[in-house]
Amino acid sequence: METPDSTPPAQAEAETYLTGQVVPKASGSDQAEFDAPEADDDTTQAPSGPVWRFLYQPRWIAWHLLVFAAFWGMLWLGDWQYHRAMGGNGLSWAYTFEWPLFAGFAVVFWIRTIKDEFQQRRGGVTEADLLAAAMEQARATLPSGAMLPNGALPEGILVRMLEQQDAEEDDPELASYNAYLAKLNAEVKGHNKWLRELHS
Amino acid sequence: MRAAALRYRVMAYITGVLIIVVCFVGIPLQVAAHNTIISNDVATVHGFLYIVYIIVAYILARKLKMRVGPTVLLLLAGTVPIMTFFVERWMQRKYIGPALAAESATPPQQQPVSR
Repeated sequence: METPDSTPPAQAEAETYLTGQVVPKASGSDQAEFDAPEADDDTTQAPSGPVWRFLYQPRWIAWHLLVFAAFWGMLWLGDWQYHRAMGGNGLSWAYTFEWPLFAGFAVVFWIRTIKDEFQQRRGGVTEADLLAAAMEQARATLPSGAMLPNGALPEGILVRMLEQQDAEEDDPELASYNAYLAKLNAEVKGHNKWLRELHS
Repeated sequence: MRAAALRYRVMAYITGVLIIVVCFVGIPLQVAAHNTIISNDVATVHGFLYIVYIIVAYILARKLKMRVGPTVLLLLAGTVPIMTFFVERWMQRKYIGPALAAESATPPQQQPVSR
Protein backbone atom coordinates (compact mmCIF):
# COMPACT_ATOMS: atom_id res chain seq x y z
CA MET A 1 0.00 0.00 0.00
CA GLU A 2 1.10 3.52 -0.63
CA THR A 3 1.44 5.62 2.46
CA PRO A 4 3.26 8.93 2.59
CA ASP A 5 6.13 7.38 4.41
CA SER A 6 6.89 4.79 1.80
CA THR A 7 7.97 7.51 -0.56
CA PRO A 8 11.70 8.05 -0.77
CA PRO A 9 13.11 10.95 1.21
CA ALA A 10 12.87 13.72 -1.30
CA GLN A 11 12.56 16.88 0.73
CA ALA A 12 16.26 17.62 0.65
CA GLU A 13 16.04 19.03 -2.82
CA ALA A 14 13.13 21.29 -2.00
CA GLU A 15 14.46 22.87 1.16
CA THR A 16 17.64 24.72 1.85
CA TYR A 17 19.12 23.75 5.16
CA LEU A 18 21.72 25.46 7.22
CA THR A 19 24.14 23.07 8.75
CA GLY A 20 23.21 22.70 12.35
CA GLN A 21 22.16 20.43 15.06
CA VAL A 22 21.50 16.92 13.90
CA VAL A 23 18.57 15.35 15.65
CA PRO A 24 19.59 11.81 16.49
CA LYS A 25 17.57 8.80 15.65
CA ALA A 26 14.53 8.23 17.79
CA SER A 27 14.53 5.02 19.72
CA GLY A 28 12.96 2.25 17.75
CA SER A 29 13.50 4.01 14.47
CA ASP A 30 15.54 1.16 13.10
CA GLN A 31 12.30 -0.26 11.77
CA ALA A 32 13.23 0.67 8.31
CA GLU A 33 10.86 -0.56 5.67
CA PHE A 34 8.31 2.08 6.44
CA ASP A 35 10.04 5.39 6.85
CA ALA A 36 7.64 7.66 8.63
CA PRO A 37 7.57 11.37 7.90
CA GLU A 38 8.31 12.26 11.50
CA ALA A 39 11.48 10.28 11.85
CA ASP A 40 13.67 10.66 8.84
CA ASP A 41 17.00 10.59 10.53
CA ASP A 42 19.51 11.76 7.96
CA THR A 43 17.53 14.74 6.73
CA THR A 44 16.12 16.06 10.00
CA GLN A 45 18.65 18.77 10.50
CA ALA A 46 17.51 21.90 12.22
CA PRO A 47 16.11 24.11 9.47
CA SER A 48 16.83 27.78 9.37
CA GLY A 49 13.25 28.88 9.94
CA PRO A 50 10.68 28.21 12.64
CA VAL A 51 9.99 24.67 13.71
CA TRP A 52 6.65 24.37 11.93
CA ARG A 53 8.33 24.63 8.54
CA PHE A 54 8.59 20.85 8.38
CA LEU A 55 4.85 20.90 7.76
CA TYR A 56 5.32 21.84 4.14
CA GLN A 57 8.05 19.43 3.30
CA PRO A 58 6.89 17.28 0.37
CA ARG A 59 6.30 14.12 2.36
CA TRP A 60 4.36 16.01 5.00
CA ILE A 61 2.26 17.66 2.33
CA ALA A 62 1.58 14.21 0.93
CA TRP A 63 0.53 13.10 4.41
CA HIS A 64 -1.78 16.14 4.80
CA LEU A 65 -3.36 15.43 1.44
CA LEU A 66 -3.87 11.78 2.26
CA VAL A 67 -5.57 12.64 5.55
CA PHE A 68 -7.62 15.33 3.85
CA ALA A 69 -8.81 12.89 1.18
CA ALA A 70 -9.49 10.20 3.76
CA PHE A 71 -11.45 12.62 5.95
CA TRP A 72 -13.72 13.91 3.21
CA GLY A 73 -13.97 10.49 1.63
CA MET A 74 -15.24 8.99 4.86
CA LEU A 75 -17.64 11.86 5.42
CA TRP A 76 -18.92 11.31 1.91
CA LEU A 77 -19.41 7.62 2.64
CA GLY A 78 -21.31 8.56 5.78
CA ASP A 79 -23.51 10.88 3.75
CA TRP A 80 -24.14 8.13 1.22
CA GLN A 81 -25.14 5.75 4.01
CA TYR A 82 -27.38 8.46 5.44
CA HIS A 83 -29.24 8.70 2.15
CA ARG A 84 -29.50 4.93 1.98
CA ALA A 85 -30.88 4.92 5.51
CA MET A 86 -33.41 7.58 4.63
CA GLY A 87 -34.34 5.49 1.64
CA GLY A 88 -35.47 2.71 3.92
CA ASN A 89 -32.33 0.66 4.47
CA GLY A 90 -32.38 0.41 8.24
CA LEU A 91 -29.00 -1.22 8.37
CA SER A 92 -27.38 1.90 7.01
CA TRP A 93 -28.06 3.84 10.19
CA ALA A 94 -25.13 2.13 11.87
CA TYR A 95 -22.77 3.12 9.08
CA THR A 96 -24.21 6.62 8.99
CA PHE A 97 -22.69 7.19 12.39
CA GLU A 98 -19.69 4.98 11.93
CA TRP A 99 -18.13 6.73 8.96
CA PRO A 100 -17.98 10.18 10.58
CA LEU A 101 -16.45 8.50 13.61
CA PHE A 102 -13.69 7.08 11.44
CA ALA A 103 -13.24 10.44 9.77
CA GLY A 104 -12.77 12.01 13.18
CA PHE A 105 -10.30 9.34 14.09
CA ALA A 106 -8.25 10.12 11.00
CA VAL A 107 -8.01 13.73 12.14
CA VAL A 108 -7.01 12.72 15.65
CA PHE A 109 -4.32 10.46 14.24
CA TRP A 110 -3.06 13.24 11.97
CA ILE A 111 -2.92 15.76 14.81
CA ARG A 112 -0.95 13.38 16.97
CA THR A 113 1.65 12.75 14.29
CA ILE A 114 2.16 16.50 14.04
CA LYS A 115 2.30 16.95 17.80
CA ASP A 116 4.84 14.17 18.11
CA GLU A 117 6.98 15.74 15.42
CA PHE A 118 6.82 19.16 17.06
CA GLN A 119 7.79 17.68 20.37
CA GLN A 120 10.75 15.92 18.85
CA ARG A 121 11.99 18.92 16.89
CA ARG A 122 11.42 21.52 19.58
CA GLY A 123 13.40 19.67 22.16
CA GLY A 124 16.12 18.59 19.80
CA VAL A 125 16.40 15.59 22.06
CA THR A 126 14.87 12.22 21.52
CA GLU A 127 13.43 9.71 23.90
CA ALA A 128 16.64 7.76 23.63
CA ASP A 129 18.59 10.76 24.95
CA LEU A 130 16.19 11.25 27.85
CA LEU A 131 16.32 7.60 28.76
CA ALA A 132 20.10 7.64 28.60
CA ALA A 133 20.21 10.67 30.87
CA ALA A 134 17.83 9.08 33.35
CA MET A 135 19.89 5.90 33.26
CA GLU A 136 23.04 7.82 33.92
CA GLN A 137 21.56 9.51 36.94
CA ALA A 138 20.13 6.30 38.27
CA ARG A 139 23.47 4.59 37.90
CA ALA A 140 25.28 7.36 39.72
CA THR A 141 23.02 7.15 42.76
CA LEU A 142 22.49 3.41 43.03
CA PRO A 143 24.20 1.63 45.91
CA SER A 144 26.68 -1.01 44.91
CA GLY A 145 25.01 -4.36 44.56
CA ALA A 146 21.75 -3.02 43.23
CA MET A 147 23.17 -2.50 39.81
CA LEU A 148 21.52 -1.88 36.56
CA PRO A 149 23.07 -3.91 33.78
CA ASN A 150 25.93 -2.27 32.02
CA GLY A 151 25.32 -1.10 28.52
CA ALA A 152 21.99 -1.25 26.87
CA LEU A 153 18.92 -1.49 29.01
CA PRO A 154 15.97 -2.12 26.76
CA GLU A 155 13.63 0.73 26.38
CA GLY A 156 10.79 0.99 28.85
CA ILE A 157 12.32 -1.06 31.61
CA LEU A 158 13.61 1.76 33.73
CA VAL A 159 10.32 3.56 33.71
CA ARG A 160 8.46 0.43 34.55
CA MET A 161 10.67 -0.15 37.54
CA LEU A 162 10.03 3.34 38.79
CA GLU A 163 6.33 3.11 38.40
CA GLN A 164 5.65 -0.26 39.92
CA GLN A 165 6.90 0.59 43.33
CA ASP A 166 3.86 0.37 45.54
CA ALA A 167 2.86 -3.28 45.61
CA GLU A 168 4.21 -6.16 47.71
CA GLU A 169 5.28 -4.04 50.64
CA ASP A 170 5.43 -6.98 53.06
CA ASP A 171 8.99 -7.96 52.23
CA PRO A 172 11.20 -5.50 54.18
CA GLU A 173 14.09 -5.73 51.78
CA LEU A 174 11.79 -5.22 48.86
CA ALA A 175 10.02 -2.41 50.67
CA SER A 176 13.24 -0.53 51.26
CA TYR A 177 14.25 -1.03 47.68
CA ASN A 178 10.88 0.22 46.56
CA ALA A 179 11.16 3.25 48.82
CA TYR A 180 14.49 3.90 47.22
CA LEU A 181 12.93 3.65 43.80
CA ALA A 182 10.20 6.04 44.90
CA LYS A 183 12.86 8.56 45.84
CA LEU A 184 14.52 8.09 42.47
CA ASN A 185 11.19 8.52 40.82
CA ALA A 186 10.56 11.79 42.62
CA GLU A 187 13.94 13.03 41.48
CA VAL A 188 13.35 12.11 37.89
CA LYS A 189 9.76 13.19 37.84
CA GLY A 190 10.19 16.67 36.44
CA HIS A 191 12.38 15.57 33.59
CA ASN A 192 9.93 15.08 30.85
CA LYS A 193 6.36 14.25 30.25
CA TRP A 194 7.02 11.12 28.26
CA LEU A 195 8.98 9.57 31.07
CA ARG A 196 5.89 9.51 33.20
CA GLU A 197 3.56 8.59 30.40
CA LEU A 198 5.64 5.82 28.98
CA HIS A 199 4.54 2.78 30.85
CA SER A 200 4.13 -0.63 29.50
CA MET B 1 2.26 -3.72 27.32
CA ARG B 2 1.36 -7.34 27.75
CA ALA B 3 -2.26 -6.44 28.39
CA ALA B 4 -2.41 -4.05 25.46
CA ALA B 5 -0.92 -6.69 23.18
CA LEU B 6 -3.42 -9.26 24.40
CA ARG B 7 -6.33 -6.89 23.84
CA TYR B 8 -5.11 -6.22 20.35
CA ARG B 9 -4.68 -9.88 19.50
CA VAL B 10 -8.12 -10.80 20.78
CA MET B 11 -9.72 -8.04 18.74
CA ALA B 12 -7.63 -8.94 15.70
CA TYR B 13 -8.87 -12.51 15.77
CA ILE B 14 -12.47 -11.49 16.33
CA THR B 15 -12.56 -8.94 13.53
CA GLY B 16 -10.50 -11.21 11.30
CA VAL B 17 -12.91 -14.09 11.70
CA LEU B 18 -15.95 -11.86 11.26
CA ILE B 19 -14.72 -10.26 8.07
CA ILE B 20 -14.00 -13.69 6.64
CA VAL B 21 -17.49 -14.86 7.54
CA VAL B 22 -18.96 -11.79 5.89
CA CYS B 23 -16.93 -12.02 2.71
CA PHE B 24 -16.78 -15.76 2.15
CA VAL B 25 -20.10 -16.87 3.59
CA GLY B 26 -22.38 -13.86 3.79
CA ILE B 27 -21.78 -12.30 0.39
CA PRO B 28 -22.04 -15.59 -1.57
CA LEU B 29 -25.25 -16.40 0.28
CA GLN B 30 -26.59 -12.97 -0.55
CA VAL B 31 -25.67 -13.22 -4.21
CA ALA B 32 -26.54 -16.86 -4.79
CA ALA B 33 -29.47 -17.43 -2.45
CA HIS B 34 -30.59 -13.85 -1.75
CA ASN B 35 -30.25 -14.64 1.90
CA THR B 36 -29.05 -11.47 3.57
CA ILE B 37 -29.11 -12.64 7.18
CA ILE B 38 -25.40 -13.29 7.52
CA SER B 39 -24.20 -10.47 5.39
CA ASN B 40 -26.37 -7.94 7.20
CA ASP B 41 -26.10 -8.99 10.81
CA VAL B 42 -22.51 -10.12 10.86
CA ALA B 43 -21.43 -7.11 8.84
CA THR B 44 -23.05 -4.80 11.38
CA VAL B 45 -21.40 -6.60 14.26
CA HIS B 46 -18.10 -6.42 12.45
CA GLY B 47 -18.67 -2.72 11.91
CA PHE B 48 -19.05 -2.07 15.60
CA LEU B 49 -16.26 -4.35 16.71
CA TYR B 50 -13.98 -2.75 14.16
CA ILE B 51 -14.34 0.50 16.11
CA VAL B 52 -13.10 -1.34 19.19
CA TYR B 53 -10.34 -2.89 17.10
CA ILE B 54 -9.18 0.52 15.90
CA ILE B 55 -9.04 1.92 19.43
CA VAL B 56 -7.22 -1.08 20.85
CA ALA B 57 -4.80 -1.29 17.94
CA TYR B 58 -4.06 2.42 18.07
CA ILE B 59 -3.28 2.29 21.77
CA LEU B 60 -0.91 -0.59 21.12
CA ALA B 61 0.72 1.29 18.25
CA ARG B 62 1.35 4.25 20.54
CA LYS B 63 2.88 2.04 23.20
CA LEU B 64 5.12 0.33 20.68
CA LYS B 65 6.04 3.72 19.18
CA MET B 66 5.17 2.50 15.74
CA ARG B 67 5.55 4.84 12.85
CA VAL B 68 2.78 6.20 10.68
CA GLY B 69 3.01 3.66 7.88
CA PRO B 70 2.89 0.52 10.00
CA THR B 71 0.18 2.11 12.15
CA VAL B 72 -2.05 2.80 9.16
CA LEU B 73 -1.45 -0.71 7.90
CA LEU B 74 -2.33 -2.09 11.31
CA LEU B 75 -5.56 -0.11 11.51
CA LEU B 76 -6.68 -0.98 7.99
CA ALA B 77 -5.90 -4.65 8.52
CA GLY B 78 -9.21 -5.06 10.32
CA THR B 79 -11.11 -4.45 7.10
CA VAL B 80 -9.28 -6.70 4.66
CA PRO B 81 -10.18 -10.39 4.72
CA ILE B 82 -7.35 -12.75 5.70
CA MET B 83 -4.87 -9.88 5.91
CA THR B 84 -5.88 -9.36 9.53
CA PHE B 85 -4.13 -12.60 10.45
CA PHE B 86 -1.00 -11.86 8.47
CA VAL B 87 -0.74 -8.46 10.08
CA GLU B 88 -1.27 -10.02 13.49
CA ARG B 89 1.62 -12.44 12.88
CA TRP B 90 3.74 -9.59 11.56
CA MET B 91 2.95 -7.46 14.60
CA GLN B 92 3.84 -10.33 16.87
CA ARG B 93 7.13 -11.00 15.16
CA LYS B 94 8.24 -7.47 14.55
CA TYR B 95 6.91 -5.42 17.46
CA ILE B 96 5.16 -7.31 20.22
CA GLY B 97 7.66 -10.13 20.58
CA PRO B 98 10.73 -7.89 20.80
CA ALA B 99 8.98 -5.49 23.17
CA LEU B 100 7.95 -8.27 25.53
CA ALA B 101 11.41 -9.81 25.34
CA ALA B 102 12.90 -6.45 26.27
CA GLU B 103 10.57 -6.25 29.24
CA SER B 104 11.40 -9.67 30.60
CA ALA B 105 15.13 -9.15 30.05
CA THR B 106 15.32 -7.36 33.40
CA PRO B 107 17.18 -9.32 36.07
CA PRO B 108 14.87 -10.40 38.87
CA GLN B 109 16.22 -8.18 41.66
CA GLN B 110 15.49 -5.10 39.63
CA GLN B 111 11.91 -6.00 39.17
CA PRO B 112 10.22 -5.37 42.50
CA VAL B 113 6.84 -6.30 41.13
CA SER B 114 6.29 -8.88 38.49
CA ARG B 115 3.11 -8.75 36.62
